[in-house]
Amino acid sequence: MKPNENVLEIKNLVKDFPGVRAVNNVSFDIKRNTVHCLVGENGAGKSTLIKILTGVYERTSGQILLNGDEYNPHNPREAKQKGISTLFQELNVVDQLTVEENLTLGMEDTTFGFLRKTDKINRIVSVMNSIEPSIHPRSKVSTLSVAQKQIVEIAKAVAAESDIIIMDEPTAAISEGEIAHLFNIIRRLRENNVTVIYISHRLDEIFELGDYVTVLRDGGHIATKPVSEIQDRSELIKMMIGKTVFEQYTPPEEDCKDIILEVKNLSNHRLKGGINFDVRAGEIVGFYGLVGAGKTELARAIFGADPYEGEIIFKGKKLSPGPGKSIAAGIALVPEERRTQGLFTILTIRGNIPVMNLENISRNGFINATKERNVTIEYIKKLNIVTDSTEKEAAKLSGGNQQKVVLSKCLFANADLLMLDEPTRGIDVGAKSEIYSIIRQLSKQGKSIIIFSSELQEIMNICDSIYLMYDGTLRSTLRNSCDVDSEMILHIVTGGE
Amino acid sequence: METNQTKAKPLALSGKMSNETFITFLMIGVLLFLFAVAAVFVPNFYQPRNILNLVTNSWYIIILGIGVTFLLITGNFDLSVGGVIAMTGVLSVYFSQAANVSQNELANGLGLPYGVAVVLALICAMGIGAVNSFFVVRIKVPSIIVTLGTMMLARGIAQIVTQGAQRNTSLPDVFGVIGNVSIPGTPVKISVVIMILLVIVAFIFERMTVHGRRTYLIGANAESARLSGVNVNRHLTTLFILSSLLAGITGLLMASEFKAGISNRATGYEFDALVISLLGGVSIAGGFGSVLGMFVGALILSVVTSAATGLLLSPDWQFTLKAIAVFIAILSQGYFLSRRKG
Repeated sequence: MKPNENVLEIKNLVKDFPGVRAVNNVSFDIKRNTVHCLVGENGAGKSTLIKILTGVYERTSGQILLNGDEYNPHNPREAKQKGISTLFQELNVVDQLTVEENLTLGMEDTTFGFLRKTDKINRIVSVMNSIEPSIHPRSKVSTLSVAQKQIVEIAKAVAAESDIIIMDEPTAAISEGEIAHLFNIIRRLRENNVTVIYISHRLDEIFELGDYVTVLRDGGHIATKPVSEIQDRSELIKMMIGKTVFEQYTPPEEDCKDIILEVKNLSNHRLKGGINFDVRAGEIVGFYGLVGAGKTELARAIFGADPYEGEIIFKGKKLSPGPGKSIAAGIALVPEERRTQGLFTILTIRGNIPVMNLENISRNGFINATKERNVTIEYIKKLNIVTDSTEKEAAKLSGGNQQKVVLSKCLFANADLLMLDEPTRGIDVGAKSEIYSIIRQLSKQGKSIIIFSSELQEIMNICDSIYLMYDGTLRSTLRNSCDVDSEMILHIVTGGE
Repeated sequence: METNQTKAKPLALSGKMSNETFITFLMIGVLLFLFAVAAVFVPNFYQPRNILNLVTNSWYIIILGIGVTFLLITGNFDLSVGGVIAMTGVLSVYFSQAANVSQNELANGLGLPYGVAVVLALICAMGIGAVNSFFVVRIKVPSIIVTLGTMMLARGIAQIVTQGAQRNTSLPDVFGVIGNVSIPGTPVKISVVIMILLVIVAFIFERMTVHGRRTYLIGANAESARLSGVNVNRHLTTLFILSSLLAGITGLLMASEFKAGISNRATGYEFDALVISLLGGVSIAGGFGSVLGMFVGALILSVVTSAATGLLLSPDWQFTLKAIAVFIAILSQGYFLSRRKG
């Protein structure tokens, strides 16, 4: 194997999902022993790219060279064997075992079935020691902090003699001091012949830590540059959002009417500092922030799905917490994860659509089958759900149609306030614009809508008021208009002052 | 393009039967097949008298099966039903036995009026259901563990009250009525009538009511159900108590039939109830199954066991035959369901 300046070369990489091209002809090189940052908005294609590199997804076309050789892993295990380890956001350590047992998991030597302490194990433990001597190999992983668990995972990757360690938002869940410590470890890794691919939404970290940065946007490759050649975060932000043309946002013809929802001093373990805002009848409100900003937590708290402190006043009355009570009061939520939180995938479309308002299709507790069917057909037609039967299992529908079923569910609940958490994530453009037009229609009927989204374009397209979130707090509020400064917005939601 | 196609084609409404209905019909087919085979080899198997027996002999498992099926549909187990039968039977006897009539401790009860004894015993049965639901709903312990515990708790109570044996003396005559009286002119016992009525009520509950629908929602996806406004905790609590109540009713009927409270009654019935539910196509993953399917499952089990007896196989073969029937049924369900998806 000849020594090569580039540890990884990605050439014309393409990944298609049904209806969406997630990675579009991406080519760039990663230089050996550098920290290479990957940035882009949500949906830019970062995680798809990572999943191809780690063998979770198969590419559609293109080529990847690892140390100059063709690299095409079919599963994460193969990727690891070939020298690419990944630190995912959900850590992959076994809490019940000790640090030492975690490090050697799957490579134990045995004699007659009994574990044997060998040189190999001693070596692995010494790797741990060299990286972080303060973590004792015999301590239980469950007693460690998140940051320490991350370090255990890093040690595991080093012990596996990885050339490349991918880190996906490693600082999302750890404190300032721990971040500084992690950065020191990353710098030491670089000195010891490890290349780090670093993904973060916190742009300041890229300037502090990165050697190179690659910007992705809408599945395409925008630029790969040495970090030193980038002037400041605003240049980076410009590359990330490009010349975004926001579709015709039209302000409502008449001013919104009465306040329907007042949120006062809301907080819980993920929402800090007390959140205050109002929503008026007929208003479309957007909460924008990147992954981990606390949008989903806020939506779930308002809906009563998670506990909170503070007060929520809806239609002049204090709302008592609980999804059932919220629905009864006139609030519905389209949850973030449609398959696990919104849909009943093993049930039919007919089994899904009426569930939030079974009272409407029943009398004295008995379901009126005709009414049930009619309601289902009504919504299939109204939302243009592509299906040949009301009896089709929800699991067999495409993402966009599944989302329309979830939306139908919430519309049938006849709520005055509809909350949508990432309403268009992972669905095709056609279904997207259909969902937007439904939202606008509802607002014209005087219903209030709150959209929680990590897609700026979505928020700018349809929302009247925009709230910016970062790290569980509300950072800023603005009215939508044609001259909203999207750079300023991205500056705020990436932690800038 | 796709949307134009759908506009052109009218929406099919009821062309395809649901998977539950499909499985039920499939199992009816299996039942008829097994019956035909048995009728060829076993003399007099086809006689109406025998067919009637096939239905009536498993009344107690079917009553248990109702509660067990509904809980399985929500994704939960109830292994306590056999224990509850023993406990309720023993307690109903203990409560009804005359007080202070004998030197023998097991002949002395509380001397309560029959009606009061019955109600108290059923309340105790529901108490077991309340314990089940408390641990499952509040403390989030998996139901299979909780009900394994209460299965032993309920039987333990039965053994303490009977000192590990049985109570069968100093009972009022009325105690033996309900378990032994038949419909005039037929050999069909009241217990069987109760079973049939309960199956009909359960069927209506399952197919036609809002609460029936919610039972499926919980099993299909408990989190989606909660976020759709279903009070999952209250619903599960009700079902656990209901299942124990059904087991309690069964226990009362069986105690009355024998005029005795026997501590090792109904051992293993919890598994028979589980087996007939599975035979009837109920999924242990939740969200799928039907009471009617469970009923057919019970008949299949009944045909298999009685055919074996008719063929003069030794009773030692019973469990093995049950096992074979279960494997065949489960495999055929999987096979036909996957063929259906296409």
